[in-house]
Amino acid sequence: MKGNIQEKEKRIRPDGVEKVTGKIKYLTDLSFPNMLVGKVLRSEYPHAKILSINTEKAKQIPGVHAVITHEDIPAMNGFGLVTPDQPVFCVDRVRYIGDAIAAVAAESLESAEEALRCIEVKYEPLEVLDSPEKALHPDAIKLHPQGNICHKASYKKGNVEEAFKQCTYIIEETYELPRQMHGFIETEGGVFVPDEDGGITVFAGTQHGFKDRFQLSRILGIPETKIRVISSPMGGSFGGKDELNIQPYGSLLALKTGRPVKIHNTRVESVRAGIKRHPMKITMKTGVDANGKLLAHKVNIVADKGAYTTLGPAVLDFAVEHAAGPYMIPNIDTEGVLVFTNNGMSGEFRGFGGNQVTFALEGQLDRLAERLQMDPIELRRKNLRKETDLGPVGQMIAPTDGASLVLEGVSKLMNTNRKQQDEQPWIFKGTGIAIGMHGGGLGKGRIDHAGGRLSLAKDGKIEISFGFEECGQGLVAVIENLTISELGCGKDDIRIVISDTDRVPISGSSTASRSTNMVWQSLKRLKEPFMKMLYEEAAELLKLPEDEMTLGVGGIWLKGRSDGPCITYEEMARKSENELSYTTNFHFPITPTPDAIPGAHFLYTFGGIKVDVEVNGLTGKVIVTSIDHVISAGPVVSPNGYVGQIEGGGVMSLGYTLLEEAKMIDGKYASENFDTYLMPNIVDVPFDTNVYAIEELAEGDEYGPRGVGEIGTIAIIPAIAKAVHDATGLWINKLPISPEELLNHMEQKGMIPWVLNKM
Amino acid sequence: MGIKQDVKLEMSALHYENLMTLSVRINDEKVEVKVPPTLSLAVILRNYFQLTGTKIACGIGRCGACSILLDDELVNACLVMAYQANGKSITTIEGLSKLSLDEVQEAFLKQGGYQCGYCTPGMIMAVKAMFDRNPHPQESDIEEALAGNLCRCTGYGGILRAVKYVMNQKHY
Repeated sequence: MKGNIQEKEKRIRPDGVEKVTGKIKYLTDLSFPNMLVGKVLRSEYPHAKILSINTEKAKQIPGVHAVITHEDIPAMNGFGLVTPDQPVFCVDRVRYIGDAIAAVAAESLESAEEALRCIEVKYEPLEVLDSPEKALHPDAIKLHPQGNICHKASYKKGNVEEAFKQCTYIIEETYELPRQMHGFIETEGGVFVPDEDGGITVFAGTQHGFKDRFQLSRILGIPETKIRVISSPMGGSFGGKDELNIQPYGSLLALKTGRPVKIHNTRVESVRAGIKRHPMKITMKTGVDANGKLLAHKVNIVADKGAYTTLGPAVLDFAVEHAAGPYMIPNIDTEGVLVFTNNGMSGEFRGFGGNQVTFALEGQLDRLAERLQMDPIELRRKNLRKETDLGPVGQMIAPTDGASLVLEGVSKLMNTNRKQQDEQPWIFKGTGIAIGMHGGGLGKGRIDHAGGRLSLAKDGKIEISFGFEECGQGLVAVIENLTISELGCGKDDIRIVISDTDRVPISGSSTASRSTNMVWQSLKRLKEPFMKMLYEEAAELLKLPEDEMTLGVGGIWLKGRSDGPCITYEEMARKSENELSYTTNFHFPITPTPDAIPGAHFLYTFGGIKVDVEVNGLTGKVIVTSIDHVISAGPVVSPNGYVGQIEGGGVMSLGYTLLEEAKMIDGKYASENFDTYLMPNIVDVPFDTNVYAIEELAEGDEYGPRGVGEIGTIAIIPAIAKAVHDATGLWINKLPISPEELLNHMEQKGMIPWVLNKM
Repeated sequence: MGIKQDVKLEMSALHYENLMTLSVRINDEKVEVKVPPTLSLAVILRNYFQLTGTKIACGIGRCGACSILLDDELVNACLVMAYQANGKSITTIEGLSKLSLDEVQEAFLKQGGYQCGYCTPGMIMAVKAMFDRNPHPQESDIEEALAGNLCRCTGYGGILRAVKYVMNQKHY
């Protein structure tokens, strides 16, 4: 089964030409007259008391215009998407190696760096809680007033202990997953431009401009109306720029100095201060009867939060929700705990806890299949949800047969590419499959507004506006394609307006695989009223019947005519005295189940995957030689974008499985740059990758194309682990897969006899 | 092109005593600029000439976002100091397309060889350098030529398709 996605329209992405020519200005490329450079002083210790901060010497450095600390914050000294418990500047204590203590603005980078060196901070180091185990110890020092537990989440159904007694086989295993860097190529940064009446324009990448505006307002003590946030284009985010990062410092420095200030993190600064994927330790005990029916599933998740909350609780909720995935298990007991530590901060990251928990879940299924001596696909098939079954936490969800569609898609792939060769006896080949599901939107109990606007601008362009950001995911192509197909106008007739809080409506965040879906739903709501508005206006101007009109390329056409529009958009905009604009506001669809657990989702996407690997018996290195994705997420809106999101997500998780770990030693990052933190490069990926889209939705589905930003990152992790098992017999329960562990295993099993011969 | 005198964020007061005259050709235009001799070429291109297509993402030559051609050799501009570039000829992404797009740029556009676009200038320069040197690259040649350029968005699928598209267009 080859990939089935074609660029039918041959439409070039709206931001394409300026990207391939290097002309596009990212926000970190901007310059303004009289601009200063800003730098942030971060903590020297992962955990310490601050005894004193002296900025006098720093202020004397030539070219330095401001040195600020917590004393210079006009309003709230804190930020955080869920709970604002992260200090903008620390007052008397630092809790992680990225904590900010002071910031400077200077005329040159060197002056700024010299000033940072001259800030005298006296610390009294405290014990470093560098693991959840240490932080959960009853005698552990409290990192926050409420203690070291940031959040707990659970879901229970039936009685697992009773059900385990009925099980023929039980697998209990603990899976350990590491901290992963987002690795966006553009580090955090931007320019902060004060205006004359005390307001500020913030040019800095984020995934929700309005949320940044709200958070900055609380810090700066100025009303949101005086803050304008320009939030994209961005050189990647993947969740990593969702939370505030350098924005508070740039804004404070700009307001203090009255001059534009640019901050652009170096990679090392980005690694130290920025959020990462939550490391998790997941224990699963899963029982099955003799026929392969799953009976009981007990899950315990311990996640390392790092020092502050950001969006961590939602990530844990997501992991708890997806702990049973697409399988119907009558007895479930899932508990999760999110623990504050002095490690680097964890937070929102593409996949959002689903990656970790799906690795564990699919690992359980594969181990059970082996115990049952059953085909792993057959075991999955026996337990899979049906179209109208409830969701993974017993909530009502939009009907979908995606789980079985992707499983059957994957099963068709299993007979292909199965080749063994003997020429290199030290190469062991294996194949693995896995499936996963992923909820879209923020979920039950969360404000999740959406909306958009269609307007005829004064210059005759049809403006389609959303409060979304272009992180690289290709949202502008989605907006363009959907607008053209819904309205019937031409590519040159429209102008896309996004990521500017002064010009866009509320659309919610560019996160949670929600934007594509929300653009589609917005257009469904905008289309008729906006068209009607234009037809009425044209009818009035031309004295022609509006029911004979239709939107087309260049303007409004009379039905059945092919000789050109009866009025062009430009002419209409010029002649019309009315404001031709329509805005829609609505909420992301949520489950109607009233007592569903917090964050439970209503719309899901599904992904299945097959990978082939080669394990090298000489080096223990694993190479993935082919990747086949089967995705069920509704219609493909933007073909290149769809393929890119799935392939790119897959490779990001290939990195998580085989290469990447942002290891901490005593609360400090062991790797601070790409020399020692290895992300996949072109050598690590197979030339042979296929993405197969299942576009059909359940009959009567009215929710449209789902977002595919995350689903490609999920199932590949357990699939690679299973392929390695297939090749070597080693069950993987810790990522990234360790070549040493593989070599030891292969040696013990006598798979690499030349090693034994030497001994 | 022109030098912006008001944007010298990387220059220090310490360096004013110690400037060299850097004389280079950038994208076929001869330019001279006074800079600290050890200042990185990537910074000079970005801050003195506003050629911001060249990106700095790791600063240590591991990501390739600053890839440019220096006397037709692919280099990481972040690792080249001003004095090392003196008298040489530089091609940046901005110099690749004159009247129309280069075939590599066309291929990236059509095949989805980019998403966020931040690695794209460097990646395109690396592909360009590969084809300049070897019009018939095998898979292993492509891997070697592009191994120094990280892309976090595409998973390299679109980039590989763009490379193959260039090869097919030329009927190699």
